[in-house]
Amino acid sequence: MDNDTVNRISKMKKMIFNNLMESYTPFPMDKKYYSSWTDKLPKNKDTIIYTSYMYQISVVLKRYEKLFPKISNINMPKRLMNISKFLIKPDEKELKRSFSIINNISNLLNKNNIDFGYLYDEEPYSGAILLESGFLSEFKEYGNKLYEFFKNKNIKKIITIDPHTTNALKRLKKLINFDIDVKNYIELINFNGSGEYVIHDSCLYSRAMGMYDTIRNKINNSGIKIDEDYLTTSRDMGTCCGGPLSLVSANDSDEIAKLRSEQLLKINENVLVMCPLCYQNLSPYVDNIKDLAEVVS
Amino acid sequence: MNYEWNVSINKAILNNAPKVNKILEENPYIRETAKELRNKKLDVLDNIDFYINKTEESVKKTGGNFHFAKDSNEAMEIVKNIIKDKKNIVLSKSNVLYEIKLRDELSKLGKDVWETDLGEYLVQINNDMPSHLIAPAIHLSKEKVSELLNKNLDKTINENTSVEDMVRAVRKFLMEKYLGSEVGITGANAIASDTGSVLLIENEGNIRIDTVLPEIHIAITGIDKIVPTLKDAFNEVIVQASYAGFYPPTYINVTSGPSATGDIELKKVSPATGPKEFHLILIDNGRKEAINSDLKESLLCIRCGRCYFSCPAYKYYGKDFGDPPYTGPTGIMWSAITAKKYDKSLLCMHSGGCREVCPMDINIPEEIERIKFMELK
Repeated sequence: MDNDTVNRISKMKKMIFNNLMESYTPFPMDKKYYSSWTDKLPKNKDTIIYTSYMYQISVVLKRYEKLFPKISNINMPKRLMNISKFLIKPDEKELKRSFSIINNISNLLNKNNIDFGYLYDEEPYSGAILLESGFLSEFKEYGNKLYEFFKNKNIKKIITIDPHTTNALKRLKKLINFDIDVKNYIELINFNGSGEYVIHDSCLYSRAMGMYDTIRNKINNSGIKIDEDYLTTSRDMGTCCGGPLSLVSANDSDEIAKLRSEQLLKINENVLVMCPLCYQNLSPYVDNIKDLAEVVS
Repeated sequence: MNYEWNVSINKAILNNAPKVNKILEENPYIRETAKELRNKKLDVLDNIDFYINKTEESVKKTGGNFHFAKDSNEAMEIVKNIIKDKKNIVLSKSNVLYEIKLRDELSKLGKDVWETDLGEYLVQINNDMPSHLIAPAIHLSKEKVSELLNKNLDKTINENTSVEDMVRAVRKFLMEKYLGSEVGITGANAIASDTGSVLLIENEGNIRIDTVLPEIHIAITGIDKIVPTLKDAFNEVIVQASYAGFYPPTYINVTSGPSATGDIELKKVSPATGPKEFHLILIDNGRKEAINSDLKESLLCIRCGRCYFSCPAYKYYGKDFGDPPYTGPTGIMWSAITAKKYDKSLLCMHSGGCREVCPMDINIPEEIERIKFMELK
């Protein structure tokens, strides 16, 4: 690994960590805008739906990733960096899609008689990027801040809606005294669906958190038909979309996404994902790709 | 991505992964044995000095020589003292031999040193490094191998030569090397502390010759290869072979000291037909330090190589995902332990297949996560 890459990642760590400690977001972003997917949920509830902005920012993440090396190279002052939140605007159609997914998850939770609220633009980011990049000390430090934040809001149960946030919070339970109940929405709901798909598993859901069988049982029971192949979709052999590599090498990340897509398309042209980052990585190479929350009710 | 590598790795996965799965489905005892082995290996790590001492006592009881090396330099000094002016040396496939740069060091001294595993021989004549723990030459296509053999061994070999004929040509060459060899140097797949036995598993038959034909047999391995008993050692080699896709293995070699006979009045006399000297060199090289660190679990790895084929980083980067000989998910752990090299961990995507297939149930993604932390802190 060349020194430039390691230095760039180290600088990025500093930048992300500082942003998180100051404003609970990894980079400057318009929280009001990203939390405007609903105005119907109550604010003061001890159970919350927690987006951690993952579906919303996934649509601009690749552009931020491209910006990071430039920012770290020129040591951009913070006030200039703040401008990036106005420069990097999400594509309206893409953002609308992410809002629709979150709304559908929220409706599914209601349909399954789960009572919950939402923190709107007060919602903090989970810190997943620190954990996944190997910044363990910073992740723990931010995790303590996050824990205090939720405690002060009297939050007792957090319902996560994406694998990265779920994994980050579950890891905090092991790493610090994060004693707030964390449940992923898929664990809490039953749903109906139709069609035939090949699943591209989220590595975090299916392997790191051991949800492979739960996910398949729920999808099989929903009416959706799943096509399996040992070398492509098994717990042993299914692989990553390449997304987590993008901070090290955007090009390699993209190549891996392409290879993974080719593998999936040999099984079925309809690909089902459960992670906003998998969707972003694979969608350039898969025409018919859907998030689970887009195809079930 | 290199096109040749893409073709090679996909062929290897297709040939290996379903086969391992079938072996495990048809022989459920292997998974149970692996669980038992994990506990035995944890016991050794928790009491490492006790087991090193016990191994030493046991090796000496068999008439063998025991050596402990804290690092590569010490290991090489011990080897040099044993072989002295002997020149002709045959090697069996071993990552620890690469770890201490044994072949390079002996070659610099003017020794005639040959790898006898076919894959390692190809890697040697290509001035290359292995791309996989147990399949070192999977990055070389048949065409590339024919080119190498034509250049280094037999001018009649070309791209139309059958694989069988290529193997035959290498066998003929190595036979001459075996017959002239004075020292056989091997690794070890397991060491039984209660008997001082070295267990080596193979399919080619080269290790069997390396360990009995030369008059001196030196086995060099890490302290992580110690298990409490001979039964545990057999378990380790069976689990390793099965997860590597070789079940039943063609050969399991057990060496407990130098050759001996009791055929005349039951009086034990050594040597008999095989080696007159047996040496076991156990090497630390960062392993003891790792026992007391966040990387303790990594030392449970039995190096079956199964994790490589479930890893998107290895599939994409090949041996660049790691520092040869330690590549792939397990290689990231071994490079961290033995060479304090952490940087390639940044290429890990934490896909997690490595953990799913690991017979020792090592949470490899979390081990690598900690190695990333070491690189970036």
